[in-house]
Amino acid sequence: MAEEPALSVLHPASLVDAVAMVRDEATGTRRYAAGATAIQLEWARGLAKPSALVDLGHIPGLAGITAEQGYLGIGASTPLASLVTDRRIRAASPLLAAAARTVAGPAVRNLGTIGGNVAGRTGCLLPPLLALNAELDIFGRNGPFREELADWLGRTADKADIITAIRLPAMTAECRWTQRKIGLRAAFTPSIIGVAGILDIDGDRILAARLAVGGGIVRPMRLRAVETSLAGQSLAACDWQKLRHDLFCAIEAPDDDFRSGRYRRTVAANALACGLAGALPKSAEMPGHHSPSAASSLAPPLPGEIRLAREEQQARWFTRPDLPPKVNGTFAYLTDHRAPDMLVGRILRAGVPHASILAIDTRAAEALPGVVAVVTHRDVPGENAFGIVVQDQPAFCGDKVRYVGDAVAAVAAIDAATAERALALIKVDYETLPVVTTPEQALADDAPAIHATGNLQRILHFSRGDIETGFAAAAHVVEDTYVTPRQMHGFMETEGGHARIEPDGSLAVFVGGQHGSRDRLQLSRILAMPEDRIRVVTSPTGGAFGGKDELTVQPALALLAIKSGRPVRLQLSRAESVLAGTKRNPMTIRMRTACDADGRLLAQEVDVLADAGAYASLGPGVLETALEHAGGPYVIDNVSTRGRLAYTNNGTCGAFRGFGANQMTYALECQMDRLAERCGLTPVEIRRRNLKPVGAPGYLGQDVAPSERLTEMLLAAETSPLWRQPRGLSADGTEIVGIGMAMNYQGNGLGSLVPDPAGGRLSLSGDGTIEAAYGLDEMGQGLLVTIQSAVSTELGCGRNDIRPVTGDTALAPESGSTTASRGTFVVWKSAQMAAPQFARAICEAAAGLLARNANDLRLAPGGIAERLSNSGDLLMTYTQLAAALPPEERPSVTVAYEFPKNSYTEGNARYIFAFGACLARVAVNRLTGQVRVLDLVQHTAAGPVMDVAAYLGQMEGGAVQGIGFTLSEDAVMKEGRYITANLDTYMLPGIADTPQTMRIHALGGLDAGDDFGPRGAGELGIGAVTPAIANAVADAIGYRPPMSPFSPEAVLDAMEAMP
Amino acid sequence: MTMMPTIPVTFRLNGMPQACMAKPETRLSEILRDHLGQSASKTACGIGRCGACTVLKDSVPVNACLVMAWQVGGSDIVSPEGLDAFPETRFIRQGLVEEAAFQCGYCAPGFVVALTALLRDNPHAGEADIRAALEGNLCRCTGYHSIIRGALRAAGLLQQAHQQAAQAGRPT
Repeated sequence: MAEEPALSVLHPASLVDAVAMVRDEATGTRRYAAGATAIQLEWARGLAKPSALVDLGHIPGLAGITAEQGYLGIGASTPLASLVTDRRIRAASPLLAAAARTVAGPAVRNLGTIGGNVAGRTGCLLPPLLALNAELDIFGRNGPFREELADWLGRTADKADIITAIRLPAMTAECRWTQRKIGLRAAFTPSIIGVAGILDIDGDRILAARLAVGGGIVRPMRLRAVETSLAGQSLAACDWQKLRHDLFCAIEAPDDDFRSGRYRRTVAANALACGLAGALPKSAEMPGHHSPSAASSLAPPLPGEIRLAREEQQARWFTRPDLPPKVNGTFAYLTDHRAPDMLVGRILRAGVPHASILAIDTRAAEALPGVVAVVTHRDVPGENAFGIVVQDQPAFCGDKVRYVGDAVAAVAAIDAATAERALALIKVDYETLPVVTTPEQALADDAPAIHATGNLQRILHFSRGDIETGFAAAAHVVEDTYVTPRQMHGFMETEGGHARIEPDGSLAVFVGGQHGSRDRLQLSRILAMPEDRIRVVTSPTGGAFGGKDELTVQPALALLAIKSGRPVRLQLSRAESVLAGTKRNPMTIRMRTACDADGRLLAQEVDVLADAGAYASLGPGVLETALEHAGGPYVIDNVSTRGRLAYTNNGTCGAFRGFGANQMTYALECQMDRLAERCGLTPVEIRRRNLKPVGAPGYLGQDVAPSERLTEMLLAAETSPLWRQPRGLSADGTEIVGIGMAMNYQGNGLGSLVPDPAGGRLSLSGDGTIEAAYGLDEMGQGLLVTIQSAVSTELGCGRNDIRPVTGDTALAPESGSTTASRGTFVVWKSAQMAAPQFARAICEAAAGLLARNANDLRLAPGGIAERLSNSGDLLMTYTQLAAALPPEERPSVTVAYEFPKNSYTEGNARYIFAFGACLARVAVNRLTGQVRVLDLVQHTAAGPVMDVAAYLGQMEGGAVQGIGFTLSEDAVMKEGRYITANLDTYMLPGIADTPQTMRIHALGGLDAGDDFGPRGAGELGIGAVTPAIANAVADAIGYRPPMSPFSPEAVLDAMEAMP
Repeated sequence: MTMMPTIPVTFRLNGMPQACMAKPETRLSEILRDHLGQSASKTACGIGRCGACTVLKDSVPVNACLVMAWQVGGSDIVSPEGLDAFPETRFIRQGLVEEAAFQCGYCAPGFVVALTALLRDNPHAGEADIRAALEGNLCRCTGYHSIIRGALRAAGLLQQAHQQAAQAGRPT
């Protein structure tokens, strides 16, 4: 493979010099560069680098802004940020200033220039500049000249031309203007289409119109015919509906994988017509802001419920120990580790979705100077297979690849550049196989087999009663098919870490994860190495959400460290993480639900088809959990559910917060609102009539734990002040506001059939701290602060006496996985179990030294105190105690037990559940079909709140992840390849997408005798967000989107069809 | 053609002169983390779309992953490690910690840099200003409200300090 040519950078001192550097054939593919932000995105998309960049940054005369004689002159090297802030631009061209505010993000605007935005010919500033009649000052091979932007766009530019300045007439006071960029989320988004429009007016008369569209894949263009038709018209008499139609016909815009050309044309026409008219047509007939009748029945707030906010919970608001170093930048993540002799690892990915491997030749890579180790399937000493449920995924593919991110080889070299060059030297011969792109296709009779066992990874059935009888007796039946996305976890720290061989020959692997001892078990199988020769460190990690539950880079790191004998680090780039990492299993859920005339549920039939991707990972568990939540918190006597999980070549899927429950809750809670509409009941009333009574069995017929809080959560939703907020048409006429709710019901733990070990250890360390060791992981959720809280509460010592030790198989005992909303319980239960014995041992040890009776002593903050004393005086500090005891006499108590489960064996059933209700107030945009969440309220009941801030964080963070799932996130695939390569097109919610307000409430108590303690908060936050938003959209416009992320085009069409 | 040509890169980092050799297109984010051992700034997308690598370049926030070695020369870079030089940063960190602003924390240094620039320029920043200034910084854990609360608290603390300083007749 050819060596990538080296890039050089030339620094001309003048325009003449610069032109000379690129003017002829001899100058090759040289390109001008100013901010050079866009060119780097091109490289990331795989476009070739030029032979040289010609830096325009040191040429005098390209900077500066002038405002004189009615014209603005903007030097081409002016940063985009200056367009937003410069007073002259804001005064003379407010349209341009407003438009610049929508280009990229603030920090990118400090780098990118107006010249670059124009020169790239796809920039978001082109529509506004076209509408503003901008001219370009250009320095070409024959010297300077001036050209209208519109003309320049209409011709192929000479590659030697340098745009030196943009010149535009100042806007007059007598004009009406609008601009809008329609994207994939609220801000910092690629452009779907951008518009700008200006009407020069004299009183009521339109003197001239200038309208333009463009941006992204839409060719920038003026809409001259429409402009002409507007000139001379009366503003008051203008037929805006016709204008909208004319604009739609005039605008040219192509389809892509994100939005259709029709959508682009529609929203551009809407934005121009509405922006210039001041309001959309049909507004007069729309209901204005109003408050619903439910508001009249407002009861007092739920007794015992607290609002989670610092100002209301001062006494329970603690600083988490990991936060100051995180904010200071001194917190050490596993991917931050560097050591002098450390090699850099890189993994070769398949790059093709389905193929047989004919040969892998690594000789050239091995021969490259600086390469220390190359590993392939031939280097796997044990089973070349892993997977939490079934071991179907190779550590390194040997005979075939099943998805684009499959690992084929890995390299460890002296630096990253050498490792990357070595990857390019590995030759893999593939014979491509037909690609299976949908679960439906996977299950067809003639489908190519992805695994030898067939494409049906799992089929699950459950039924109770007789659905035929149920449906026959029904007064109302609703049926729909709900489709959910391939959501990406999007943890900020991509998969990575380091590994090394210890002096005793054992292996240590440091990679962020969610269950160290299971990672160790899986590595042990792959490496044929006893578990006690492997140490796995999994904490801390920069976010996981289920996406680090399965093995990620551990096999490659371990094999590279073993083969090289040296420490190796490896972290996936985001692009590689997108390609290789697990995603949420996309699901198609067909749900048919029946009720009687009073709204009582009679029967439900559910059929789920889930995409496993290439490997099962936890997909079978996700499917099972989805089915277990098919009835939600309701009683339905006659049910039939079927679930199928199919292998495809669509990446790979696995655990993700919610784990199937949030997908199913979306379907079910939409069905409930549909039935309520049919019956003429409120959303609250239909739920009340069907709510599972306390003590009734769960969906599968299993026993469930006490302290059920469904009635309370429904009451909290009913009495929410949110219902009193305005809805209907917004004041400016561009949005329709609605309110919706959904119940939230989330199982905790791994279920009745799966081993679910738990445990922890308390011990007095030599330095006098009380070490609380758990094999759980701090992923950001607040494990450490929860440990401090739980252990100090149980022991009576101070929070700072506790030193949490987590996520290290060498230092902490087995606690089970940090998944399935189980961590908080394990922390609390272990502390509760170990504390009495540990406290007694501490008191006895102290008693011996103090010549006192142990029964007269107790643990207090800082040390041991007199049992009956409340002075705070210490008889002995923990430090003194530890110093006085030989190591073997320092107290240490380890506990081990199973996570609570029931005895149900016919299926995998949860015993413990957490409860909630979610309400959303949304605004549906009439121009774009986009949905904006204005207010989000979560009522939750998950037992005692161990740490207020951590619990609040889980609910808020889960909610916004849910908003992403609902409105913007999908890792789109086509023919087994990701269309989305990075965070430029995968739309994680940004700060502009977060609701204006979020209010989180918790009802913390337990029934008398309930000793199951805190329930999990990790998944409750995302559980019911999607249906609450869907139901709010339906409240606003009468259309309930059955597919997430919601299609703005479908929403627009639904509004268009509104009576 | 020479393989892997490198250029000398000289700049100021956190007030101190720095010099290293790098390929012209090497990103500043990589120079900081892998050449200079400054690991506070993170790389989470590598294409300027997440803000985890935000640093100050000639006093304005930029994505270090979009700044190439050839663009660094002669500039004044402040990484998260160098923010102690800014009086605002102390209040920002305090406000963010008090409001439990972050969870996994991987995005935190980038947010602190962006907020330092904001409050340095506008100590009276309100929620709308904060939201606008943070549009380029992604956080996957929190849902942003805790960060907004922390930033508002920081602004409050900063204003308080300014008032106290004004009353005491000394500059902050």
